[in-house]
Amino acid sequence: MLPGMTALHASWLLPLTVFLPWVGAVAVLAAGRDGRLRTALAIVFAAADAVASILLIPLASDRIGFALTLGGAFGELSLLPDAFGVFLAAVAAVIGGLAVVFSVDYMRGEEGQGRYYALILFFIGAMVGLVLSANLLMVVVFWEITALCSWALISFHNDDPKAVAGGIKALIITGLGGVGLLAGSLVIYAQDGSFDIPTFLSRAHTFPPQVLAWVGFGFLAAAAAKSAQFPFQTWLPDAMEAPTPISALIHAATMVNAGVYLLARFSPVFSPVPGWSISVIAVGVVSAFLAATMAAVANDLKRVLAWSTVSQLGFMVYAIGTGALFQSQFHLLSHSVFKALLFLGAGAVIHSVGTRDMRKMGGLSRKMPLTCAVFIIGALALAGIPPVNGFWSKEMILESGLRQGPLWAYIVMLVTVGLTALYSLRCVWMVFFARAEESHGHEAGPAMKTALIPLAAASLLTWLLAGPFQRLMVQTLPVHFPRAGEAASTTWQIAAEVLATPWTWLAVGVVAAGAALWGARSLFAGIGRRLRPVRRVAEAGYGFEAVNRGVSRAVEASGEGLRATQSGLLNWNVAAIVMAVIAVLVAVWLVAGREG
Amino acid sequence: MIGGVWTLAMVAVLGLVAVGIYGLLIQRNLIKIVVALQIFAKGTILVMVAAGGISGKPAIGQSLAVTVIVADTVVTVMALALAIQVRRWCGTLDTREISRLRR
Repeated sequence: MLPGMTALHASWLLPLTVFLPWVGAVAVLAAGRDGRLRTALAIVFAAADAVASILLIPLASDRIGFALTLGGAFGELSLLPDAFGVFLAAVAAVIGGLAVVFSVDYMRGEEGQGRYYALILFFIGAMVGLVLSANLLMVVVFWEITALCSWALISFHNDDPKAVAGGIKALIITGLGGVGLLAGSLVIYAQDGSFDIPTFLSRAHTFPPQVLAWVGFGFLAAAAAKSAQFPFQTWLPDAMEAPTPISALIHAATMVNAGVYLLARFSPVFSPVPGWSISVIAVGVVSAFLAATMAAVANDLKRVLAWSTVSQLGFMVYAIGTGALFQSQFHLLSHSVFKALLFLGAGAVIHSVGTRDMRKMGGLSRKMPLTCAVFIIGALALAGIPPVNGFWSKEMILESGLRQGPLWAYIVMLVTVGLTALYSLRCVWMVFFARAEESHGHEAGPAMKTALIPLAAASLLTWLLAGPFQRLMVQTLPVHFPRAGEAASTTWQIAAEVLATPWTWLAVGVVAAGAALWGARSLFAGIGRRLRPVRRVAEAGYGFEAVNRGVSRAVEASGEGLRATQSGLLNWNVAAIVMAVIAVLVAVWLVAGREG
Repeated sequence: MIGGVWTLAMVAVLGLVAVGIYGLLIQRNLIKIVVALQIFAKGTILVMVAAGGISGKPAIGQSLAVTVIVADTVVTVMALALAIQVRRWCGTLDTREISRLRR
């Protein structure tokens, strides 16, 4: 294809990919009360966006593909189709589209479906816009839109107080993190007079170190809040009150990937900042380990999966901290696929059994053979058992972590890998095989199967994309991969390298040990009893819930205290205004006096 | 010479602003508050005109003044309409009495 042609295609395909879902959201709302039309519109627009996002992949380049002037003050609405952008846009659009298809069966007969589909499409569009934007201000705007969409969708059952509380919690915590992103962006603008991301990446070495440190840690806080990393992890399990396809959307396609994306996008700039890389590694390691232990003791199926998401995102953050950008993004791809599969599989189970408590399930392997099969594939990927995609990406993260990161981090991650295998097996066993007194269920519906089967196939096959994906990143991200020649290798070279490393087999051994630990759990019953206090602490989320409650109570109390100042009496308000004006005038006079 | 005249005018209209603020500070009757607000706003408009004269750009000061006149008229109409409603529902125009009724 001619270069001119490529640029032309990118210039209309880029805005199409971002705004097609938003057009679809409006169309779904405009369809009114006709349920069939609404569903059809949602599927058509989601599918069209998935196709557009895939067509965008061959057009990837390191140049701005689309720019719209926004009146000059804030730069342009510019879209950049580099490897991070097109890859995450494709993940958001394709997996989001499958969640829409799955919802047809899951949400049948529910109230408020127009709102539901419109918000999902709006969410997908915002995520695609977030990852494709080359303007930091637009990134902030899309970032906050995704937070609002997640709030509205987590609280979708708005007559359920737990769902409403979960949504508000997600909004507050991710909003708090968003302050870091906004402040960092404004600092960059104040320093350089531009919100343009490529400009910032190329000019960051001219920034004073302390300014760069403020921006770097602000972005780290934003990313940790968005990706539910330590110490902001508490919102994600509470977001489990959402309908299950929404959980799949948040965990695999849209919300939590944004934090990892932000860190990966800016890591070459911030890694020279003293303490930044080790902080990122620590956040990733602590999140991965704590979340894995909490997943191992949870009894709510969706909570197990939620903690496993926190844990797996910890792996990606850890990889970014050690400088392994390709590995982190590749694990993001694997995780998106298998976590969407697990969540949608769990959705099929919950839909048929009517509870999320794993203790009330069991013996479902005969009643739901297809769901059981695909769920096991997803669990194998989560546990990192070859040859499923999770194995390859996780091994690559561990290897680069051993080579480039501190040893203690590698050891903790290795233990976490074992724990992951343990809780994956526990989950599959309790849901599908354990004997329960009464477990009645029926197989998933046709729309559910349409979403589950491609995801299961993808879990088995996406590792084959390693080579092309790495080449795409090396070609379009010159700042992130400065040594272009040596990094690009084919899938087979990557696979051979992974298989030839002894550390891979050490990790596989740990996985096997973790699985064996669950198999031989009766032998360890005595130890288990002695560990009961630990278990209780883990079930309580290690006290982070208490911290959350304390903070919210303190905010309420200070609000009560400050109420006295809001007398509502006009005379007092005018007096305060006059005094403030006088204070400003005095300050200006003093400053002018010192300078003059 | 002309600058001196404008400065003199500025001092005079700042006096008008001060009267308006004083009224807002001490008045409790809603109608009188609206009157004080009017004095304050008219003073502000004249300050803008005078400031334009002092800085030698009278057009900017006057166009801002016209804008404020429009906004000020709307605010006054709304305030008086609300005052009528308050009198009708609360039976008083005293702001403290109205605040007490809230509890």
